[in-house]
Amino acid sequence: MAIRAEARAVYGIPVGKLGMWWFLASEIVMFGGLIASYVVFRIGAGGWAEDRAHTNLVIGAINTLVLLTSSMTMVQAFATGERGDQRGVIRNLGWTILLGLAFLAIKGIEYSQELSAGFTPLAAPFWSFYYTMTGLHALHVLAGIVVNTALLLMARMGLGRHDRVELGGLYWHFVDIVWIFLFPLLYMS
Amino acid sequence: MATHGTRPNYVAIWTWLVGLTLLCVGLSFAFGPRPAVVAFFFAVAVAKALLVALNYMHLKFEPRLIYAIAIVPVLFAFILTVALFPDFVLQR
Repeated sequence: MAIRAEARAVYGIPVGKLGMWWFLASEIVMFGGLIASYVVFRIGAGGWAEDRAHTNLVIGAINTLVLLTSSMTMVQAFATGERGDQRGVIRNLGWTILLGLAFLAIKGIEYSQELSAGFTPLAAPFWSFYYTMTGLHALHVLAGIVVNTALLLMARMGLGRHDRVELGGLYWHFVDIVWIFLFPLLYMS
Repeated sequence: MATHGTRPNYVAIWTWLVGLTLLCVGLSFAFGPRPAVVAFFFAVAVAKALLVALNYMHLKFEPRLIYAIAIVPVLFAFILTVALFPDFVLQR
């Protein structure tokens, strides 16, 4: 007997997409709570600007450009998939994975420089927030790389579906948006 | 979801995102963390987030339910920030 897969929908929205947006809503609450705590503590306590001045703006800016570019290649993977171009999906997912790995590598270099200069998570409240927020964000980038690798392998095996690439893209772009706010908070304010 | 013909120009959006980032980095080097400049940085961050959400996440093609799911937790985070001000900021 043939098994028929149907894309179920609620209010005209595919359940996969609805589920992904609910998941992202929970992520907004988590990162929003962290950012709210940082803003309130920083304004309330004062004196954090000296610690913030030790973060490397150039490295932060390079990583921002890397992540923005990875968002562009991710959405191009979706666009090529929508056109039925599986080679384009594989190529763009590959670039997205590489850029994600580059982001983590650059972040690792930055961490090693900061730790060797004595800016450990316990050095000051700023550094506690810095490592918590950027570390949690880096874990999300790592999770996105795993998801994108699975999507790439499925595409290579001929099992790729562009709606799955769209769901992976929603997550990846959300991680990009979180960094868009972390960058001015931790490097420029 | 974006469909053929209505899909945004993703490269143009990326160019805007990169341009706005470089503008902020340049201003940061030129003026440092002055209050007005920092306020501008966060306004630009909101603009960049909207560019990504509306065009790359295709939010502008989605029904209102998706908007509600995305906006309500952002409002919660904003309310949390404001609600904590009396205890942590105004008592300085």
